[in-house]
Amino acid sequence: MKNIIKLLVLIPLLAACDDLFTPAIENIRPLDAMYKEPTYAQGILANAYILLPYSSSPNSDAATDDAVTNESASSFLKMATGSWTSNNDPMSQWQARKNAIQYLNIFLANSDSVIWAKDPLIRTMYNDRLKGEAYGLRALQMLHLLRAHGGWTADGKLMGVPIVTLPETPTSNFNVPRNTFQECVKQINDDAATAISLLPLDYGDISDANIPSKYKTLGITNAGDYNRVNGNIMRGRITGRIVEAIRAQTALLAASPAYSAGTTVTWDDAANYAAVVLDRINGVSGLSATGATWYSNATEISNLASGVNPAEIIWRSGKDNSASAGGLDLEKNNFPPSLYGKGRINPTQNLVDAFPMVNGYPISDPLGTYVLATPYTNRDPRLTKYVLVNGGTQGPSNTVITTGTFGTNNDALNKENGLSTRTGYYLRKLLRSDCNPDPNFNTAQFHYTAYIRYTEIFLIYAEAANEAYGPTGKGTHNYSAYDVVKAIRARAGVGASNGDAYLESVKGDKDKMRALIRNERRIELCFENKRFYDLRRWKVNLNETAKGMQIEKQASDGTLIYNSIDVEARAYKDYMFYGPIPYSETQKWSQLQQNVGW
Amino acid sequence: MLITNEYTMKQIQIRFIICVMFAFSSFHFVEAQTTTANETDSTKNANNSMVQVAYRKVPQSNLLGGVSVVNIEELTKKNYSTYSLDNMQGYVGGWNGNSLWGMDDYLVLVDGVPRDANNVSPTEIEQITFLKGASAVVLYGSRAAKGVVYISTKRGKAGEFKVSARANQGMNVAKSYPKYLGSSEYMTLYNEARANDGLSAQYSANDIYNSGSGNNPYRYPNVDFYSSDYIKKTSNRSDLTAEISGGNDRARFYTNIGYIGVDDVFKFGEAKNNSTNRLNVRGNIDLTINRYIKAHVNANATFYNSLSAKGDYWKAASTLRPNRVSPLIPLSYIEKNDVNSLTLTDNSANIIDGKYFLGGTKVDTTNIYADYYAAGRSKWTSRQFQFDTGIDIDLVRVLKGLSFSTQFAVDYATSYTTSYDNRFAVYSPSWTSYNGKDVIASLTKINNDKKSGVQNISGSSDKQTIEFSGQLNYVTSINDSHNFSATLVAAGYQQTQSQVYHRTSNANLGLQLSYNYENKYFVDFGAAEVHSAKLAEGHRNAFSPSLTLGWKLNKEGFLANSSVVNDLTLSASGSILNTDLDITSNNSKYGDYYLYNTNYNQADGAWWGWYDGASEHSTNSMRWENKDLTFVKRKEFSVNAKTALWKNLITADASFFINSMEGLIIQPSTTFPSYFSTGYPSSSFLPYVNFNNNKRIGFDFNINLNKHIGEVDFSLGLTATYIKTEATKRDEYHDDAYSYRKGHAIDGVWGLKNLGFFKDAADVAASPDQKNPVKPGDIKYKDQNGDGVIDANDEVYLGKSGWYGAPLTTGVNITLKYKNFSFFALGTGSFGAVGMKNSSYFWVSGDTKYSEVVRGRWTEATKETATYPRLTTESGNNNFRSSDFWLYKTDRFNLAKVQITYDFPKKMLQNFVVHEISTYISGSNLLTLSKERKLLELSTADAPQTRFYNIGFKLVF
Repeated sequence: MKNIIKLLVLIPLLAACDDLFTPAIENIRPLDAMYKEPTYAQGILANAYILLPYSSSPNSDAATDDAVTNESASSFLKMATGSWTSNNDPMSQWQARKNAIQYLNIFLANSDSVIWAKDPLIRTMYNDRLKGEAYGLRALQMLHLLRAHGGWTADGKLMGVPIVTLPETPTSNFNVPRNTFQECVKQINDDAATAISLLPLDYGDISDANIPSKYKTLGITNAGDYNRVNGNIMRGRITGRIVEAIRAQTALLAASPAYSAGTTVTWDDAANYAAVVLDRINGVSGLSATGATWYSNATEISNLASGVNPAEIIWRSGKDNSASAGGLDLEKNNFPPSLYGKGRINPTQNLVDAFPMVNGYPISDPLGTYVLATPYTNRDPRLTKYVLVNGGTQGPSNTVITTGTFGTNNDALNKENGLSTRTGYYLRKLLRSDCNPDPNFNTAQFHYTAYIRYTEIFLIYAEAANEAYGPTGKGTHNYSAYDVVKAIRARAGVGASNGDAYLESVKGDKDKMRALIRNERRIELCFENKRFYDLRRWKVNLNETAKGMQIEKQASDGTLIYNSIDVEARAYKDYMFYGPIPYSETQKWSQLQQNVGW
Repeated sequence: MLITNEYTMKQIQIRFIICVMFAFSSFHFVEAQTTTANETDSTKNANNSMVQVAYRKVPQSNLLGGVSVVNIEELTKKNYSTYSLDNMQGYVGGWNGNSLWGMDDYLVLVDGVPRDANNVSPTEIEQITFLKGASAVVLYGSRAAKGVVYISTKRGKAGEFKVSARANQGMNVAKSYPKYLGSSEYMTLYNEARANDGLSAQYSANDIYNSGSGNNPYRYPNVDFYSSDYIKKTSNRSDLTAEISGGNDRARFYTNIGYIGVDDVFKFGEAKNNSTNRLNVRGNIDLTINRYIKAHVNANATFYNSLSAKGDYWKAASTLRPNRVSPLIPLSYIEKNDVNSLTLTDNSANIIDGKYFLGGTKVDTTNIYADYYAAGRSKWTSRQFQFDTGIDIDLVRVLKGLSFSTQFAVDYATSYTTSYDNRFAVYSPSWTSYNGKDVIASLTKINNDKKSGVQNISGSSDKQTIEFSGQLNYVTSINDSHNFSATLVAAGYQQTQSQVYHRTSNANLGLQLSYNYENKYFVDFGAAEVHSAKLAEGHRNAFSPSLTLGWKLNKEGFLANSSVVNDLTLSASGSILNTDLDITSNNSKYGDYYLYNTNYNQADGAWWGWYDGASEHSTNSMRWENKDLTFVKRKEFSVNAKTALWKNLITADASFFINSMEGLIIQPSTTFPSYFSTGYPSSSFLPYVNFNNNKRIGFDFNINLNKHIGEVDFSLGLTATYIKTEATKRDEYHDDAYSYRKGHAIDGVWGLKNLGFFKDAADVAASPDQKNPVKPGDIKYKDQNGDGVIDANDEVYLGKSGWYGAPLTTGVNITLKYKNFSFFALGTGSFGAVGMKNSSYFWVSGDTKYSEVVRGRWTEATKETATYPRLTTESGNNNFRSSDFWLYKTDRFNLAKVQITYDFPKKMLQNFVVHEISTYISGSNLLTLSKERKLLELSTADAPQTRFYNIGFKLVF
């Protein structure tokens, strides 16, 4: 009893009145805590990195003519088959981009007050770099916002999005009209210019002699001080080189058929911006020989030093080999079911048909010698690198995959809902054969996501130069569209036997050359979430029915019979060349005009 | 500055009073234990008709409304039940089984301490009071603002020593099982679904035939989860209770020791041993220490153990299709010379009964049967200790009529799960026919056997409650006609839960002033000064007043001698309660405190990195500041009428109420851009503001009729509770007037209106864009706004879901006593709500299991009579969305309970050690009357609903 009494007396004393009269102390901090704590301040900027507009899986390609998905609940499948509305927009960038820009604006408004380092000179260098990053990231976020939501309004104007360069608070005026597309492009270019002036071209440790003059004149004499701010340990963050590439992407978008009537950006601008990036690797000669298989260059990837880019890559994600995440996710999702994958992304016959013959001619060209009975022979070598076809092999044991209807396991066409291919093809690009999703093994390998590749910039140059200077014109540069395409096709092993006769045959025809460049772009950048917007900026047919290949075996002699089948109809409307402004936002803000049709 | 001072002062006052009371109580308690008790002159046991209300007991006849009471001790004599709040809506109005007056929360107090209602058994309970009205709960402060269910446990009485024992044996019998299609029918219809999608058949006629024939269920599985091969028809429940009570004028005690054991229905594997048992000991002591001081101590300990095999059978039963895997395959099917396969099975750790191996496929790498045999088991253990003590001091020496009481409670609960998690291999057979016999040609092993032998401990949590209250009471009467009473209370409690940083807290001062003139005219004033640490300084206190006026008409001259009216009391009350119950964040991770502050947070930021390997946290805004964030208000007006007629032949009690919950907090989305908040990284720039309002109007009543008819004692009770809710203010913006939630029930079900099925392609072409690929046989919807598109803007209000109980809840109870027999029956009804047939039992698409509903599917041939859309292996997005096609009414009447009790004649037991014996049989949940009975009795992904039959004995020694 005595103990109980003791307890009775003691407990009210021990139990402090936290949360009863005053709240228990929580780590609640105001924004200005960032001034004295650089990691806290850097955490504000971090949001723009966390919200980078890049995806590690090729989801949006399933909403194009390149692929379908076997996941019936996929929002991209639903979008492609007719559910796309302004309040159901899987491609919407509004939330994430604008949120990132808000954090960037907060960062830019406060960065000057942050004590990044005790030494004022080093603090200046930090502030330069971090603000440079913020400007560069704002340009990037803005570009992706503009691409997803820019469009023509009912009054015939090409509009972008409201430009916001200052932090917003709950008392800000949100009911503001959209800026024009052109104003947005200018904003991106202005931010890019500021970023380029503040950022190093690349991060990396340097010697005293190489300290940039702007810092030398400030009084930085010790390379160690510079390296602390801009050295090896900063690799992977946005650089001047990356911002230059973003500028080229922006110009290509603005000069494209869907937007050119509303902007002053020319193909020449796009070619020039792209050339700035390409000249840094000496043009065509800098094209990485192994760039087409960047995702599976096993030795190259495993030997990558921390933060270092392979020759093909301008910007990439960190590399990941965790079996529970990025080291095996793509294989778990996309390997054929017999290899314990879910067979998600299924390349279409449309895409397969876009790969030329190995002699360089399209399959529709009689000179290509395409044989329907052996559709995968003598084809562009990239076909079987990017697409797993019937009879191809996959997985660590090089298992033969049968997608024909005669297959005996779930790899066969439409055999098992949600696992089997719907088109007769499985994805191979982005995947590594040395991974094994079999739960008994769970073997993961290093993967990274390519944010920006040199090949893309080459293709931007080719597309723009062909329009600006013709197939073989060079403008003020040392290489033409023809030169670029020839190099890319040569790297792929196309036309090696005949001097790429097909390319030679179209180099005098700008229109045919345009078609070829677009086709090369489709192939080279397939399954990298590019096709969805490429189709739109070119204003080409969005509604090509996604087709597949049904392969049957003749009972009598075992020969295979190939029949093209319709797999999924596309239900886009013409106004869907441009994405919508979110419905909830146009409802709230009367000044926010919707794009036509939505 | 002035305001701050004022609030600070109040705070200091509250603290001071509480602290003083503690000091006081502890002091006296210590003294009490060391003082030799004096003889006391009067400890007459409590008036039986006393009803526990907030911090005091009042005679039932003087209750002024908003309070209902059930005498559980009496009820248990004729109605044995297993859960404290079991079907209470059958006895009182205002409680609808889920809530009090339709509100979304209520506080359970067991002997005045916040505790779980399911941790106190009916045999331990004396009385349950339902404090519904705002006027009834005002003294309990903020966290009681949505009503209190007060459970009072039994106590010992002076002058009697009583030992009784009770034993029950009952069984649960499933009401119905879901009806899923067998393999051959499933395969046939799946082929039809594929054809509808333009795909070729998946199953050959041969496969379908073989599955149907059942000749070899191992090669052609046809698994019926509800077969008697796997589950028993019944499960058992037994309990034993012993009660000992007694005492004298000085000390009284009560003890209850109970044991409950429940088993499960599974016949196989580890699940055979599934069971739950509970052991509890409750005891209390009342001490009359001297003329002025009384004390009590209550304690309870409960031990739960629950043993279960790993896996969820009922969920698996609703998803695993019958033809997919054969869970157990006889070894005898393996060819004798297939050395490889035999080696595999020889090395298997899981050969069942020496003759079966575990089957599986690459897709279905495990199944619930294999889990139950091989995955191991887990044991959930829970311990609850509850202790409270109190003291009552008569301060007559200070002032006549003045007394002081205090109570202090400490509860501790802990629970954890221990488990053995085994991994195991399954084997996928490849079959062939050999001389007309099926044999397994080869086996593929999937996964590996692995018994770690390590006991894992998980889900470990503990919870502690500390409660304290102190009160000064004053009662006086002038000339026997002016009757005053006053109570001043200081109270608080805190609950601490493991892994939750902030505690649940309540602190308030309460004041109750009552006056009546000759028990005829009543005025009750109740008020609380509530305090909440969730709000900004200067906003933490609020004053909650409540005023009730009552009039006992039967005391007036014109009714005083009435032979008809024995009691007629009218009362009305108005209250404004302040509560912080609804001051909660959208993100439980960040707790409910400091919501008024701007908060940037790095600790919970998302990880990010740059060069391969770097990782840091982002810094994110969690919310914008709003220092003006304040309490939510419950504003209520209610009237109550109570009567007793014809010498209590009929007693009735009715209430009407209208209440408005105002200033419910939201993060307003219509005034700020959508990008002001993001889910990843978790971030928001939105402030929390008081905004939404909800209104509830309703009435409740109960009528009891008691009559002797010859040798039969007859009593009948009728109850009803009706609630109409309305969202009166919402943060919303819609294009169309009909889309506004405002003006509709707060538990509204919204969805599209259907126009039947698309007849043909022309019908599809001529109809609005459904925003999904549709074909004939899909559901066609009404384009409410005429914009040519079917989308969320075409959704309309379809009905009430009855979140917190159906709009109308009714109850009827009948008792008949004839000689030593008594018959009791209870019925409950609920009406006015709707449900949506949206489980996977009804929404069948893709690879879901097919239930019998798909038999009514649309086909070209049955288009006129079809009751179900065309089948599809795609997502079925168009058909399977909220619409009135799937709506059904949940109106029902239940025969909840029937019990027949026989009390052995006392004469028979003279000179016997046992004084009383009674025995009873009962049935629970026997019958449902409803248009949708089958639907309402169906559980698809959960254990089936059951009828419960019980036989019991009670002995009093």
